[in-house]
Amino acid sequence: MREFLIGLLLLFTVPLMAQETGSITGTVTDKSLNNEVLPFANILIEGTTKGVSTDFDGLYELNDIEAGTYRVIFSFLGLETQIVQVEVKPGQTTKLNVALDATSGVELEEVVLTSSTKKESEAALLLDQKSANIVKESIGAQELSFKGISDAAAAVNKIAGISKQEDGGNVYVRGLGDRYLNTTYNGLPVPSNNIEKKNIDLNLFSSDVIQNVSVSKTHAANFYGDFAAGNVDITAKEHTGAFFLAIDLGTTVNTNALDTDFVKSEGTGFFGFYNRYRNNPYAVLLSHGVDAIRSDGNTGVSGSFASGKSWNIGNASRLSIFATASFGNSFEYREGPAVDYTTVEKKRFPNSEEYQYGRNTTAMANIVYRINEKHKIIYNSLFINDATDQASYFGTKGLGTNRDAILDTDRGFYQSNIQFNQDMIFVNQLLGSSTLSEKLKLDWGVGYNNVLARQPDRKRISVERYDLELDDDESTNGSFFSNIAYDNQRYFQNIEDSELNARLNLSYNISEKLDLNFGYNGRTKQRTFENIRYGYDFIEPNTPVGDVRNLNEVFTAQNLGTVFNTVVFNGLDPQNGLGNVNLPGQFENTYEGNLDVHAFYVDAVYSLNDKFSVLPGLRVEKFNQDINYDVINLPATDPGQREASEFFFLPSLNLKYALNEDQNLRFSFSSTVSNPEFKEVAPFVYEDVTQRIGGNPELLSDPAFSRIFNVDFKYEWFIKPSELLSVAAYAKAINDPVNLVVANDATGTQRFFRTGDQAQVLGLEIEVRKALITDEDEQSILSTGINATYTYTKQDLKGSDGIFSTTFDRDSDQLQGASPLLLNADLSYRPIFGKYKPVGNLVFSYFSDRIDALGSGQLGNIIEKGVPTLDFIWKNNINEKIELNASFKNLLNPQIERVREVESGDVALSSYKRGLNIGFQFKYKF
Amino acid sequence: MKISKLLLGFFALAIFLVGCAADDTATVIIENPNGGNPTNPTEPTDLEIGGTLTEDLTLETGTDYNLTSALIVPEGITFTINPGVIISATSGADVYVAVLQGGKIMAEGTSTSPIVFTSNSTTPNAGDWGGLILLGKAPINSVSGGDATSTSEIGGLPYGGSMVDDNSGIIKYVRIEYSGGAADASSENNGFSFYGVGNGTTIEYIQAFEGKDDGIEFFGGTVNASFISVVGSQDDSIDWTEGFTGTLTNVYVEHRQSHDKGIEGDGFNTDIGNNADPIFWSAPIINNITINGNGSSNENEAIRLRAGTRALFNNVLLSGFAEGFDLDSDGADSPTGQGVLDGETGVTDISFDDVILNLKNDTGEEFGEAEFFTGIGNGTGADYSTWNVGWTRN
Repeated sequence: MREFLIGLLLLFTVPLMAQETGSITGTVTDKSLNNEVLPFANILIEGTTKGVSTDFDGLYELNDIEAGTYRVIFSFLGLETQIVQVEVKPGQTTKLNVALDATSGVELEEVVLTSSTKKESEAALLLDQKSANIVKESIGAQELSFKGISDAAAAVNKIAGISKQEDGGNVYVRGLGDRYLNTTYNGLPVPSNNIEKKNIDLNLFSSDVIQNVSVSKTHAANFYGDFAAGNVDITAKEHTGAFFLAIDLGTTVNTNALDTDFVKSEGTGFFGFYNRYRNNPYAVLLSHGVDAIRSDGNTGVSGSFASGKSWNIGNASRLSIFATASFGNSFEYREGPAVDYTTVEKKRFPNSEEYQYGRNTTAMANIVYRINEKHKIIYNSLFINDATDQASYFGTKGLGTNRDAILDTDRGFYQSNIQFNQDMIFVNQLLGSSTLSEKLKLDWGVGYNNVLARQPDRKRISVERYDLELDDDESTNGSFFSNIAYDNQRYFQNIEDSELNARLNLSYNISEKLDLNFGYNGRTKQRTFENIRYGYDFIEPNTPVGDVRNLNEVFTAQNLGTVFNTVVFNGLDPQNGLGNVNLPGQFENTYEGNLDVHAFYVDAVYSLNDKFSVLPGLRVEKFNQDINYDVINLPATDPGQREASEFFFLPSLNLKYALNEDQNLRFSFSSTVSNPEFKEVAPFVYEDVTQRIGGNPELLSDPAFSRIFNVDFKYEWFIKPSELLSVAAYAKAINDPVNLVVANDATGTQRFFRTGDQAQVLGLEIEVRKALITDEDEQSILSTGINATYTYTKQDLKGSDGIFSTTFDRDSDQLQGASPLLLNADLSYRPIFGKYKPVGNLVFSYFSDRIDALGSGQLGNIIEKGVPTLDFIWKNNINEKIELNASFKNLLNPQIERVREVESGDVALSSYKRGLNIGFQFKYKF
Repeated sequence: MKISKLLLGFFALAIFLVGCAADDTATVIIENPNGGNPTNPTEPTDLEIGGTLTEDLTLETGTDYNLTSALIVPEGITFTINPGVIISATSGADVYVAVLQGGKIMAEGTSTSPIVFTSNSTTPNAGDWGGLILLGKAPINSVSGGDATSTSEIGGLPYGGSMVDDNSGIIKYVRIEYSGGAADASSENNGFSFYGVGNGTTIEYIQAFEGKDDGIEFFGGTVNASFISVVGSQDDSIDWTEGFTGTLTNVYVEHRQSHDKGIEGDGFNTDIGNNADPIFWSAPIINNITINGNGSSNENEAIRLRAGTRALFNNVLLSGFAEGFDLDSDGADSPTGQGVLDGETGVTDISFDDVILNLKNDTGEEFGEAEFFTGIGNGTGADYSTWNVGWTRN
């Protein structure tokens, strides 16, 4: 393993010089492995320091060699070195292909290991970026490991123009958020774990399952047409080398959580499972109380194992298996004010506390069967269980106010919300590639995904005059706030997604100058949604509350009908006496959505000459979406369903001009679309403690999509294998954009509207990666990467009518989610002291203030204030087997703040600090 | 082999980790309280009504009607209810009667044969069903004007416009009982919900009895109403917002055990703002009103004015409240106090009986009782007994 790493890092660079010169180019292959291409083989001109390494395709190029005859040394650890005599003529390129064979003294497994073509080193991925015909940036397992990056969300945050939202894995690419991004896993769509999102939380992909993460910021014909800002693709880790087994154990503490008596929902397990799904919610309500319970400690633990093994079968076949499973939990505690402010202050909680207890289990298996050098099949299976207990208490010091309180609008308002979310994701994929002939290559994949996203038994309690419980006077009491029955409630929600998807690409190499790709992508997705809610309707007004953290004695089955009645929206059978009081009910809201997308595409890669290549493409996509809903509180005249069907013709053009060997100019144009999500269309309203969000089925009416035009221009300079300078300018026009704004209704519900005719995005992106100190082997000891993005956005605004309507008091505004300034930077220090190889990494990221929610009517925008994040990761390879790692995250511990813009200034809606997360990890490789 | 043992260990772990979440949930067995068999329902004896009308409908005197789902009266359709008709509603917040923009209700009872909407439950409770909703085309200030509409709390129905004299029909001698079921904290039915109803509509002699939410709520509109009785509403008895500018004459409010304010008046909908151009506020006139609370020791307010509302009161009688009037300004955009300074808000002739604090001024503007009240001690109220006989319930 150590030799492999050294081999990988022994990268030589080409000195630039001379006039009467020629070049040598060619491919290096591995004879012992059916002549598979050999990346990172070393090529050196004997007697000189002139040398180079092959790229991941086994290609090499030695330029600027003075004319003459040379002996060229081809070497690779574990393979027999070859020396070839070659003549270099001025102005000419000599082609020289070499096949290296295994030496007798080296174990086969070592050789296999070094022949890996895994795109996971930084250098390999930069090479990939350099040779790619579209604008694409990637981060591989090696860099993830070097920089101590724990998951895919943190990984993409290192890429220019990308920022992550505090609080979860919401990613913005060039200022465009969730609805303008796509996430794929091995090139196939992967479901979101959260009903509120289109993209899966990238935090769920731990580094253990990632080979690389790439972000494509320009569209090509093989991507789904629903594209505006980027496509995030996660490639699953494959095993290719010798048997290995590694385990790790770790612990994490959050400095905020340390001093707290941490609480969680009752009934949820250590590993984030919940056993009451099979019970009727009403039975759960009667059998179990509402209080949170103490959690077992407040310190996170983690552990994982990963193992891989390969077998040769016969002469040509090889089977490789990689499996990993990991578990980790985390504790975070926040405190600060929470305010609901519209045009007036509706609720203010000067003191609120939130306990977040997350658990994540990931299991992944990957079986690669290389039938022979031409055919390969991969089976990939991924399971993720992501569970979070969240206990929130608002108005904990009796100072909360609610302008709609009954007893006193100036003090003592208190609410609590205790919920548990469990999202289980199952992804199964069969992938393959076949070289059909010298000119024809087939790539294909079929996937089946399932998501079970559940929120069982959320408990919400509302109390008035809580200040009277906190004072010394035992004769005065706080009481339950019960304006309506649902002020104190239990809530249950289930979402199930299933999706079948496929991709197929046939590439046809017509000549050295022309490649054609013909392909198909398709997906058919179904979502079902159901929820039910029970309200506690107190029989006596102002029922005293007592200790707000000990309410189980109030909400007992014995008190049903004497202290409170339960109320449900849809009774079992009201006309026959089974009404909505003190009985279980039927689901309150249900909907079912179907999405079918089928597309054929063709694109060409045409190299006009060595320098200039053109990639025109056309995609024809059939899009069909329907939704059937039965939700409360809609006009009786609403048909309860919507459907849209469209044909899209989506042209794209990518141009690449190589200024020289190391520098590229790129241009890209594409026309894409943006389709509404199920949650944007389903008119169901989710009622949060401080906000209400619902869909708008009119989004599927004319127009049912946004037409988007994208233009990109980019300059790249690959200074050295790990050094880069790039500058990109981009422009986008989004027609009929969708925004989430407050609807004109009597309830203040936020809904999705097409709020204007067009939104425009203009931006500039600069990225530098530089080795600051290198050792004698050109290996960087101290290196840095900095990228900055400036984005200007503007959308025109207009009111809209329909079953829901909205208005604006201004003609235009910035785009929601777009920070004008994004900054990402890291500094890596990797010295080597014999076997001890520590890596220190300082990672910084910043986004400037951005609109979190666009204000409609007289409402001001909600602004997410800019946040700087600084992490320090320290990895210690004590020896070949043992690693001791430490991480110190969120070192700056900035205030995380959301504000509402009002004329007289900003009103803070929430404000808290996340605390430092300090982690230690022990890793052992067998 | 090592690895297979490890894998086995992993699967064992998987079973363990699913297993360790607790489930000691007891089984619930449901007995039908009416003894009927839900799979074999008893034949309904009443005539069932509900759904969206496609032609005019008249409910005849002498027949009992059972409202089983939302009854929608769309544009161009007239829903007539003859005197003495009793309509009992199946439980559910989504069981209500809604008269859409352009639709008409002709509900004319008499003092001896009022029209009654009630719950069909054998043990009726407040909030059993929705209520009566009228939606008109009169101005509201939550939208910019013209034909722009907003949507109602319940049912998501459009309302508002520019027809000041819009006519939604006649409601006379109508009592609504046990209504006010809520969909959620922001979507509440009332007894009578008047959304953008115009002053071509006739509303006289109406009572909201034992409602779960507000008794009568006005969302903008210009409609005038007289002889209004609200008894035992659990939330505000009279509520207005979104630029209501009608006149209410002879109003009687009686609080029972559970209640919020007697009147809660907002100038505009604070969730979306005052979007009218030019801006206007709710500015009703209330003549002859009595509000009976539960005594000043039960902490509560009779009348709360906020969010920039204006209101002129004449002849007011308040009894049994901790606070009489409480005026709030929620910020620069909701200048409730300015209305007092401009003479657009104030009270002429008022009497306080068992009220501790007559006026609580939280508007930030400088004025006191002397500026706000004229003729303290001269208020006599609604003189309820002269008009409540025969058709109201106590």
